[in-house]
Amino acid sequence: MIPLRFVLLSLLAAFMAGPLLRAAEPIDFNRQILPILSDACFHCHGPDGATREAKLRLDQRDGLFRTHDEVTVVTPGHPEKSELFLRITSKEEDEVMPPPKATRRLKSAEIELLKTWIASGAKWSGHWAYEAPRRPAVPGGLEEREKEKSPPLPPNPIDAFVHATLSKQGLSPAPAAAPATLLRRVSLDLTGVPPSAVELEAFLADPSPGSYERAVDRLLASPRYGERWAWDWLDLARYADTNGFQGDPERTMWPWRDWVVNALNANMPYDQFTIEQLAGDLLPDATRDQKLASGFHRNNMFNGEGGRIAEETRVENVFDRVETTATVWMGLTFTCARCHDHKFDPIKQTDYFALYDIFNQMSETGSASGGGGRSGAIVPVLDLSTPAEAEAVQRAQAGIDAVAKEIEVFELTKFPRAEGKPVIDSPTAQKLPGNLPATHARPAVNRRDLNGLLEALPFFRDTEPDPEYVKLLQKHIAAIRVRERAANNITKVMIMDELPKKRDTFVLSKGNYESKTDVKVLGALPEIFRPTQAAAASPSENPARLNRLDLAQWLVSPGNPLGARTAVNRAWQAFFGTGIVKTPEDFGVQSGSPSHPELLDWLATEYVASGWDTKKLHRLIVTSATYRQSSRVTPALHERDPENRLLARGPRHRLPSWMLRDQALAAAGLLVEQRGGPSVKPYQPAGIWEEATFGKKSYQQDHGEALYRRSLYVFWRRIVGPTSFFDAGARQVCTVKVPHTNTPLHALVTLNDPAFVEAARVMAQRALKGPARTDSARLDAVFRGATARLPSAQEKFILLSRLAQLRTQFGATPVEAHQLAGVGEFERPESIPVVEHAAWTALCSLILNLDEALSKE
Amino acid sequence: MSCHQYEAFHSRRAFIAQSGLGLGSAALASLFPRDLLAASAPSVSPSLPLSVSPSSASGLHFPPKAKRVICLFQSGGPSHLDLLDEKPLLSARFNEDLPDSVRRGQRITGMVASQARLAVQPSKFAFQPGGQCGTRISDLLPHTRDIADDICVLRSLHTEAINHDPAITFFQSGSQLPGRPSMGAWVDYGLGRLSDNLPAFVVLVSVNAKRSGQGLLARLWGNGFLPSAHQGVQFRSAGEPVLYLNDPEGLTRARRRAMLDGIGELNRLQHAQSGDPEVETRIAQFELAYRMQASVPELMDLKGESAATLESYGPDAQTPGSFARNCLLARRLAERGVRFIQLYHRDWDHHGGLHDSLPHIAKDVDQPSAALVRDLKQRGLLDDTLVIWGGEFGRTPYAQGDAHREKYGRDHHGKAFSIWMAGAGIKPGTTYGASDDFGFNVAEHPVHIHDLQATILHQLGIDHERLTYRFQGRQFRLTDVHGHVVKGILT
Repeated sequence: MIPLRFVLLSLLAAFMAGPLLRAAEPIDFNRQILPILSDACFHCHGPDGATREAKLRLDQRDGLFRTHDEVTVVTPGHPEKSELFLRITSKEEDEVMPPPKATRRLKSAEIELLKTWIASGAKWSGHWAYEAPRRPAVPGGLEEREKEKSPPLPPNPIDAFVHATLSKQGLSPAPAAAPATLLRRVSLDLTGVPPSAVELEAFLADPSPGSYERAVDRLLASPRYGERWAWDWLDLARYADTNGFQGDPERTMWPWRDWVVNALNANMPYDQFTIEQLAGDLLPDATRDQKLASGFHRNNMFNGEGGRIAEETRVENVFDRVETTATVWMGLTFTCARCHDHKFDPIKQTDYFALYDIFNQMSETGSASGGGGRSGAIVPVLDLSTPAEAEAVQRAQAGIDAVAKEIEVFELTKFPRAEGKPVIDSPTAQKLPGNLPATHARPAVNRRDLNGLLEALPFFRDTEPDPEYVKLLQKHIAAIRVRERAANNITKVMIMDELPKKRDTFVLSKGNYESKTDVKVLGALPEIFRPTQAAAASPSENPARLNRLDLAQWLVSPGNPLGARTAVNRAWQAFFGTGIVKTPEDFGVQSGSPSHPELLDWLATEYVASGWDTKKLHRLIVTSATYRQSSRVTPALHERDPENRLLARGPRHRLPSWMLRDQALAAAGLLVEQRGGPSVKPYQPAGIWEEATFGKKSYQQDHGEALYRRSLYVFWRRIVGPTSFFDAGARQVCTVKVPHTNTPLHALVTLNDPAFVEAARVMAQRALKGPARTDSARLDAVFRGATARLPSAQEKFILLSRLAQLRTQFGATPVEAHQLAGVGEFERPESIPVVEHAAWTALCSLILNLDEALSKE
Repeated sequence: MSCHQYEAFHSRRAFIAQSGLGLGSAALASLFPRDLLAASAPSVSPSLPLSVSPSSASGLHFPPKAKRVICLFQSGGPSHLDLLDEKPLLSARFNEDLPDSVRRGQRITGMVASQARLAVQPSKFAFQPGGQCGTRISDLLPHTRDIADDICVLRSLHTEAINHDPAITFFQSGSQLPGRPSMGAWVDYGLGRLSDNLPAFVVLVSVNAKRSGQGLLARLWGNGFLPSAHQGVQFRSAGEPVLYLNDPEGLTRARRRAMLDGIGELNRLQHAQSGDPEVETRIAQFELAYRMQASVPELMDLKGESAATLESYGPDAQTPGSFARNCLLARRLAERGVRFIQLYHRDWDHHGGLHDSLPHIAKDVDQPSAALVRDLKQRGLLDDTLVIWGGEFGRTPYAQGDAHREKYGRDHHGKAFSIWMAGAGIKPGTTYGASDDFGFNVAEHPVHIHDLQATILHQLGIDHERLTYRFQGRQFRLTDVHGHVVKGILT
């Protein structure tokens, strides 16, 4: 066993080294040389001026080719006259680079490559991602090749690029996936829901040209499309229904979530989609929807912990907005530059704070109060409530004030003290235990909070009984609850605004909110992206001070080389599992180099040319032969390309957990397709919220249709997300890539979560009540519900023998059969015999847990 | 937050690849988390014995002293001044203003920032020497004092954070900002599983019986950017210890077995069809889930514990959700090969009424913590189990509100505080470092949180500068670019 692992490891290493060793081709500086220099040299000879050694900078052309004291760093054509080469090959401890104290060593293959590069003329270019994408020519010969196929496919430039890379590697594409497999794949990808039996049959019955394209158009037009794609956007927007941190108060951001779904369904162009979310409030005559869209940057967590310094919270929120914006629209890791110039990418700390200045102009103070509505709403907010709802809150507050007056009078005798002093000043109040002095005796009566009162109540009821006082406390608690309920009906959505008088922005030393330096910065683009004539001016001298709207418009302008690339790369990742750039959060010098650089740029320019038409982009991808390939893999191909970067086969990976739940609900016919509105609370094991919030929040599960809404609408408590989901974005900070792991805990969810067991149970009852009369026909129906295909004879034999076994087992224990057949709240027709129902339930659960059902094939 | 450490350019993978040839096979296997291993090398049987004895694990960065860690985290900020760090001067200078020379303009929380003065607040609790070594410990922790000869009390911890959430996040992940992997996740990533039937990183949370404490977020044991297989698994105190561990009602083990056999058979057919090795991993993980359904309830069932053992952990030993029961479970987890056992006990946040609340919570944890150390020692497990007891920060030597001899509260304080450690190469019966006479600043041998983390990894055989993970274009590690192993506490 063990030696095999070594074999695999070394094979893997050989594969990874592949691109380095193919020296016959001309050397690509960006792909082959820059990563070595960046990894081995930039830490001390890179963009960060503070740690630069020997004043030598290798990330820029001037530095790399400079001659100083008659020593030339790189002499094109002459490794032996290049100090860089002499140093990396030196045997002297005080000369060799990287220095011995650094644990980074250059591999001999890397040294060889650097030598070849210098010898062949040392061609240099800037990092590709900082340059605007140039539309590459589509590799030729495509149409001829496609015509030879049966049936011929319309030529798709994606295939031309992918096939060109494959043929360079001596690989050829896989045949097309079976039609049923393909329809399931594309339905899940575009709508997050598998095809129904009717859709499947219609598709299989129509072999005419264009039937697949027609299915794609149907899926793109489905309102499910917006629901599926909103998920990924919510992950990167760190959307949740609560604020996070201690107490984790609720907020009402679902109207913003619905805005996203609607915008995606309406195919709002991505440039508009961007501008409205980043700066909808700043648009001239902004509509209510445009203001609502600006809630994008209010989705961040908010720390309202007691004792929190408001400014610290405010500053952290601005950091989050800067970094999220940079990740989503620039694919750059700005976080590094919060504290110092970036080590690898030419991003200065002043660049960071120039963006910071842009987001520093919102009225948010960092104090967690004043939003009204649900406790987690913090101004500025957009009030979507009706006058009646607002009035109900006012009435409830008046109720509290009235009770407070009564209590004040009572407490004058209960806690005797000088007039006008708070209760805490009374000697009687001194002996109150625990937090009571602070939470109960100190605040003004009408400002006491529920938690303090809930702690006071048992004390005055049991420990030092005072029935009359207890009555008043209970009245007070009831009044607060009335207000909470009324406030919960108020829909106030957090949005952005802009201060009339701008805040000054200073670089914060080490990113510490308290450590303002005297470097004042005005809102500006990162220096590398500024138009060249302005680049000379330092930020503080630049008279133009950009605001959010300026930035938003620039992000989707030709000036930003990464606006379209980051977007098409995320789309690619959603369809193929891995982006063309494997690190969607980082397109900088340290990023994974693109598997198909020309395709990336072609797609990016195509996307812009189409008017940022996202549905068109998705259509282009899913109608490519590349996407339509079978995902079957041979051991040799898997060893060669385990991650399927080259795309000599179709995508295959486990479905996201939220999609698994939707699929199970759809397969059972349970899915309730009501769109939008407040989030819902389906099944969740008891005590999860209580345990995470020290008993302050308890989960009130919904019933009826709310149990079967799409996963998108499930209430997301930030500190403890929905239990049915795994490998999901944490919804705490911007997430553009979620992992696909494979752990035993996941198996427990899909095997035992009542949502999945109930789906199996309802699948079973539909099969038993359906038109099919034989085991075999029923099995066909349920198997197809989960996999979109019929079982093979061998599979059917295995499943039917399991069914027989389960029938015998449940037949012997009808009580247990009753239990399993009764899982969940959906109605069970009594006419179905329980033993039969239980056996089929177990069988359906088995089918829903097959690897094929869990995966996109 | 700072970024890069050039010297740390060794990814764990590279480390393994370079030193791999010299490794014992078992150690190599243990270096790979099983999930990843199974994913990249499908032919590895999931039932390989993976136990590693320290002597065979010479391929780690250092010879490891610890095979596992038990972290008894006291959430909320236990008052070092009332528990582990005696300060007679506070009594002598009762109710005087804290001298500016001590505070030196350092920041204080929003809760006391508006207070007119910072009045020196002594502890009302007496300290006594414990054991042969005579380490002075408060009367609130008599059992801990009894094991003074087995532990090392560190009195010079310090942290930059002053509020709970960032401070706990810092202690657990090396960064105040959310999103980094927790210590346990790093250890799992670096060392892999020892047990075939349990996860490598298990979390147990308890609350004070009388009052609840500060909330805890699941991300504290999160995997951050590491693969999610490394996240801590919280065994819950009520209901199912692992989410969805129990089969649905009516589905007996025999039926579950029949189902899994069916799933296995069909998945193998599927594997033959698709060729995707991930299918084999899935089969293995479903089987592990099945084994956990048996091993976890067995673990949680205390029936086999002797009356003497149960008694040693105190009256709450069998109360679900108590710290005492969790300590006993921690020992059982340690015996069963769990690598990183993280306990949390809540409610040390005594802004007011410290005099009233602290004795209760100290009582919750004192006897069980001491019993755990003794129990481990008696079973020969203390030699290779590292035990850490402490919170995210300490509390202020000045009162929150007015100073009072008997009734007082203290605010958060991170400039100096105390923890204790035991086992796995930590010098027993010693103290290390000191705070100044006010207990405000560190006076001697400062130990930063990153130093503590470096030391924990060191005892496990890991160089904290060389356990790294590449994310967003750079190598990340638990200790960021900081941290020095605290050699002074090592045997």
